[in-house]
Amino acid sequence: MTAIELHDINKEFGSGLSRVKVLNNVNFKANKGELVLVLGPSGSGKSTFLTITGGLQTATSGDVTLDQNNISKISKRDMENFRLNKIGFVLQAYNLVPYLTVKEQFKLVDKVKKSHNLDNEQLMTLLKTLEIDDLINKYPSELSGGQNQRVAIARALYTDPEIILADEPTASLDTGRVDEVGELLQSLAKQQNKAVVVVTHDLRLENYADRIYEIMDGSMTERVN
Amino acid sequence: MFLALKEIKHEKLRYSLIIAMIVLISYLIFVLTSLALGLANENTEAIDSWNVRSILLNKDSNISLGQSTITNEQADDINLTKKDAYVGSASVVAKSSGHSQISSTYLGLDKNQFIENNLKLSSGHKVRNDKQIVADEKFKDSGYKLGDKVKLDSSSGKFTIVGFTKNAKLNVAPVLYGTLSGWQTLKGMGSTMKASAVVSKNTKVDNSNSNLKTYSINTFIDKLPGYTAQNSTFTFMIAFLMIISLIVIAVFLYILTIQKLPNYAVLRAQGIPANVLVKTTIFQSIILVLAGLIIGTILTVLTALLIPTSVPMNFNFPMLSLVALGLIITSILGAIIPVRTILKVDPVTVIGG
Repeated sequence: MTAIELHDINKEFGSGLSRVKVLNNVNFKANKGELVLVLGPSGSGKSTFLTITGGLQTATSGDVTLDQNNISKISKRDMENFRLNKIGFVLQAYNLVPYLTVKEQFKLVDKVKKSHNLDNEQLMTLLKTLEIDDLINKYPSELSGGQNQRVAIARALYTDPEIILADEPTASLDTGRVDEVGELLQSLAKQQNKAVVVVTHDLRLENYADRIYEIMDGSMTERVN
Repeated sequence: MFLALKEIKHEKLRYSLIIAMIVLISYLIFVLTSLALGLANENTEAIDSWNVRSILLNKDSNISLGQSTITNEQADDINLTKKDAYVGSASVVAKSSGHSQISSTYLGLDKNQFIENNLKLSSGHKVRNDKQIVADEKFKDSGYKLGDKVKLDSSSGKFTIVGFTKNAKLNVAPVLYGTLSGWQTLKGMGSTMKASAVVSKNTKVDNSNSNLKTYSINTFIDKLPGYTAQNSTFTFMIAFLMIISLIVIAVFLYILTIQKLPNYAVLRAQGIPANVLVKTTIFQSIILVLAGLIIGTILTVLTALLIPTSVPMNFNFPMLSLVALGLIITSILGAIIPVRTILKVDPVTVIGG
């Protein structure tokens, strides 16, 4: 079942002579139960692709459909609600609140989204899988880059989203951890039937992907094996 | 609320400094307001203690108690009720060996009228003859005691302090309550003069003499020498201080909010609704200002307790509450100004491109 579909997406910044086209007729599809990798170097437009897919910004033209909803046509408020309930973001910048402990990062979600989050047992299992269960009382500033990244992943998964969008989730991790994250994302797709999209330039994740798109200068093509 | 409290708890130094700034500003405003009110109160506390609404003066006196005289002939035209009382006023300098001289106001009263009857003493007794006086407690604070003999002018002989009373100042000078005969002696006018004025609990004194005129007590107070000018100066001083302080607090809270925008971008990216962030910002500002106001109030009360009695401080709680409310409203404004920025914060900034 198609969870994400981007149809003829164009994104331009600026106007007149300073106009820059960042995405050029991008077509993309990710199904539930799939881990889809978007590979591309820095500046290729992959983060713009991710933010448009997640409804953080709008495309200049084209349609984005998430879980059967055309998000190009919904209000900002509905999009916020959709993002909170259906999308889990794993960001390169860890997306953790600096003044909340690991435990409180999840508590904050409970305050805003009061149902359909992981229960305590599921959360502890997730934290154990990510080997951060003994860090729940630490602040982000007390954690290493890799630990922060794993907390950010746990935070994104806590709302039990149907769609997971990850931006360079392995940027701060060593190879051993990359494999763990790769396996985790793959198991989320396979065992929990989630659509997982990872934008990265980390080729070490290729082995875990069901399909791979490559993006270069704003143009996206699906790699055919 | 959760985010607001957690951030304050985590960023203790930063928020302590902001609270300290609000404490100092509120303390400054509270102390200045209390001092100004204290001074204003010293102009009128005797009149306030009589609880009167009008005053009958000689219409050529320029609404000045010291300049007004009512002759016995004029007094015959006044239909005095139980709510009216004669007052004879004379500016005197109290002298006594071993004590400092005190510029005072002698107020002669009729022992059968309400001012004398309602006079509350903190010690001693009321006057029983023309050579006795009841003095404001400032005399006590300056070392005068019951039984001390004081000279009020060079020709009237000595007066004995037989009692002390609180809240008896007129135009900042301490009042010495005596008799109308004592006043006549001090003024050197003999018995042709009845008094300086008639004060009344009614809005008008029943009088048929065209040389006498009733004024409202507020009009009389406004005409006390220096009273209006002094109050206007303090009012402007406090108003400017308030405006500048409020702007400073608003700017601080604005900067505080702007500094948090990167965190807000992260939260927005996570789908945390903008209204949660706006409520957090406003709630946090209210907490900071309330904490500052509470500590500022405690410091002001401590100051009032420790400050020498010669420096008058007076608390007008409705006015201080208004000042506090102004600070709270400003803090909310300071937090609301960047709301547009919060609403427009771009979650994309945390992802980059």
